[in-house]
Amino acid sequence: MSEYLEATLDKFTFRVATDRVYTADGVWLEPQGGSRIRVGVTDYLQQHSGDVAFVSAKPRGTRLVLEEEFAALETIKVNLSLPSPVTGTLVEVNDALGTAPELVNQDPYREGWLVIIEAANWDVERTRLLDPDAYFAVMRSQVEAEIRQP
Amino acid sequence: MTSKERRVVIVPCSGIGKPFGTVSREAAYEVCETLRPDETQLVALSKLVLGEEEACRRVDSSPAITIDGCKLMCAASLVKLRAGTIVSEVAVLDVFRRHKDLKPEGIAELNEAGQQLARVVAREIAATIDQVHQAETGGGADHA
Repeated sequence: MSEYLEATLDKFTFRVATDRVYTADGVWLEPQGGSRIRVGVTDYLQQHSGDVAFVSAKPRGTRLVLEEEFAALETIKVNLSLPSPVTGTLVEVNDALGTAPELVNQDPYREGWLVIIEAANWDVERTRLLDPDAYFAVMRSQVEAEIRQP
Repeated sequence: MTSKERRVVIVPCSGIGKPFGTVSREAAYEVCETLRPDETQLVALSKLVLGEEEACRRVDSSPAITIDGCKLMCAASLVKLRAGTIVSEVAVLDVFRRHKDLKPEGIAELNEAGQQLARVVAREIAATIDQVHQAETGGGADHA
């Protein structure tokens, strides 16, 4: 069971799970053992993007290059291209999202996971990622910047 | 459904500035002005929020169909808050998921895909109204 850091800003509350690492773009990575990494989007990113209508991930077996798209979300507000946070091979896709894409909004850190990647250079690439406290600070600054916008 | 009192109440959301909210309102107009004008009555959500007497009375006394543009489901929530009888909660997003090619864009004026999506939503609501009518009268629907 995940524990969360929580921030309430304006009328919104955002959670950051403490048992994984993050990119500044709002993608989380949860090691599954070995170099298998479960990947999804953060609570902030899903709230910011709006209700998800469709999720499309690259097919199983796709060789992923760092920063190239591994999945896309189409929401009521935006079409979101998600850059791969690591180099590796996409080994699993959350098929439940095909019929229930709303899981990304309802449970972004658990049932709403997107894919599992077999990372090729995990020990190296993990050093580029943010721990929960660091991502929490980044997220806060992103939210505050958005609130300040006229 | 000849009694005005028992006309199905159509309550679209007030998602001002959002394409899916605009679809909900366009669909409501399509139902109430074109597809089933004699069997429906349109109620603005804002009037329910303000507690306007006539709007509240309609919701309290007639079956309602709510149309919401997003998962906050404001229209459905407010009708439930009044203990109104909802016969169908329509989520535009769910209809869009079945019609991926009809991506609504634009706010004051919807694009063609958004207008088509509104017509799809409206036709589904019209079918629901026919079912309500059929259940209340025990007869067949008059509409094709």
